[in-house]
Amino acid sequence: MKYTLSNGKQVEQKRSKTIFIVLAVIAMSWISVVMTDFSFKVLFERGKRFFDILISMWPPDIGYLKFIWTPLFDTIKMSLLGSAIGSLCAIPFAILASSNIIHNKIIISIIRLFLSLVRTFPTLVVALIATYIVGLGTLAGTIAIAVFTFAYVGKILYEQIETVDMGPYEAIESFGATKLMAFTAGILPQILPSYIANCLFCFEGNVRYAALLGYVGAGGLGLILNEKVSWREYQSVGMILVALFISVMIIEAISHYLRKKLT
Amino acid sequence: MIKFENVTKIYPNGYTGLKDISLTIEQGEFVAIIGLSGAGKSTLIRTINRVHDITKGKLTVNDIDVNTLKGKALRKFRRGIGMIFQSFNLVTRTSVIKNVLTSNVPDLPFWRVLIGAYPKSQKIAALEALDKVGILDKAFVRVDHLSGGQQQRVALARTLAQNPQIILADEPVAALDPITAKQVMNDFKRINKEMNISILINIHHVDLALEYADRVIGVKAGEIVYDGPSNQVDQLVLDNIYGGQEIGKMGA
Repeated sequence: MKYTLSNGKQVEQKRSKTIFIVLAVIAMSWISVVMTDFSFKVLFERGKRFFDILISMWPPDIGYLKFIWTPLFDTIKMSLLGSAIGSLCAIPFAILASSNIIHNKIIISIIRLFLSLVRTFPTLVVALIATYIVGLGTLAGTIAIAVFTFAYVGKILYEQIETVDMGPYEAIESFGATKLMAFTAGILPQILPSYIANCLFCFEGNVRYAALLGYVGAGGLGLILNEKVSWREYQSVGMILVALFISVMIIEAISHYLRKKLT
Repeated sequence: MIKFENVTKIYPNGYTGLKDISLTIEQGEFVAIIGLSGAGKSTLIRTINRVHDITKGKLTVNDIDVNTLKGKALRKFRRGIGMIFQSFNLVTRTSVIKNVLTSNVPDLPFWRVLIGAYPKSQKIAALEALDKVGILDKAFVRVDHLSGGQQQRVALARTLAQNPQIILADEPVAALDPITAKQVMNDFKRINKEMNISILINIHHVDLALEYADRVIGVKAGEIVYDGPSNQVDQLVLDNIYGGQEIGKMGA
């Protein structure tokens, strides 16, 4: 497209590429539909089964509640402990991955590559592997949560450290402190509130992940959820879901409140 | 006593920061270093506590050869030299007293620094330092609630709490309004006179330099082009230092 001004000057605007992008997205969506056998027909015909299951969960079996407490608290304990361990382990790695603290590019790339690698492992797979190593139970779940938290918090933390104000660090180093001391006194106070906020946010999500981990034998709610679904005791399943829903709500409310206080 | 003997500083990128500088500063002097941006003022100041290494020559502070210092000895040496920055370099999201206490960090065990458990004697020393610069009432206020002038005073108190013999100040008033700048300069002057601390200050405001410092050093392209009492600095000297360019005047 060319524009000519009244004084004869010409300005050219490049043709927009939007149409090609839209066409490419449509084409790729179509390929995906074909490849995954996605069918609206099946969805329409069988979709109502979902409501059948949902209705058969009602009313939830209150009597089953007494069997839920232990796995529910297992789930919460797994996510709490796993989040704490993962968040703490992430700190030294995040420091080593921050380009404003460590000036050795090789160390930084190795640590970042390691963090990315860990992040690509699906939590469920980590939990499965952990059950082979430490046996069935909550320990495996805790390890899986810790590994995920480690990679997630580690990445966010080093990005935070890199945007920190280096002034205090420089000052404290200039009056004779070691790098570690200068980091602790000058940078830690700057990142601590958002670090804790991120750990809490991660913990919130982990409660939901932890509820799944029982499917691969890593303890918690997933274990009984899997069992009750396969035995088609939907009213018990309903009770489990209600218990999980309420716990997640409470935890999110507490965490949200704490995070607000922090920042 | 700070003694530069034929000191040259060449940066890794080949830029010459200091060219064959020889200079002696006695204990208790108030020295202003003036010159254009990039002339080498900051480099000159930062070689003294060895934030920058020198390339050639010898630099001694109280008979210690600065360039031979390493690790623990260097950190111990730095304990005796305070530093003040243009942007204050405080931890803004914590309290004033916590910032002052960071000057004691090098002498403390790591766990105390980590959990912020400073001994009571140091807290009292920190409060006394705040009293000396007149902001004792702000001790438990968060730094980001203070004005620029107050923040620079916190930085000054932080430096005083380490009992330095020398204070290096890199453009300490450049971020402040004229009135506050004068107040901070008064603080420097008082500390210089009352505690006999040597003060080396990089400054763009020529009139403040001439008013407060006893001695002025003019730096141009890494070389000293004037070194003498501040009352002998005249237009000719300034023209030489600033290469005949417009001089940054400030009215208060």
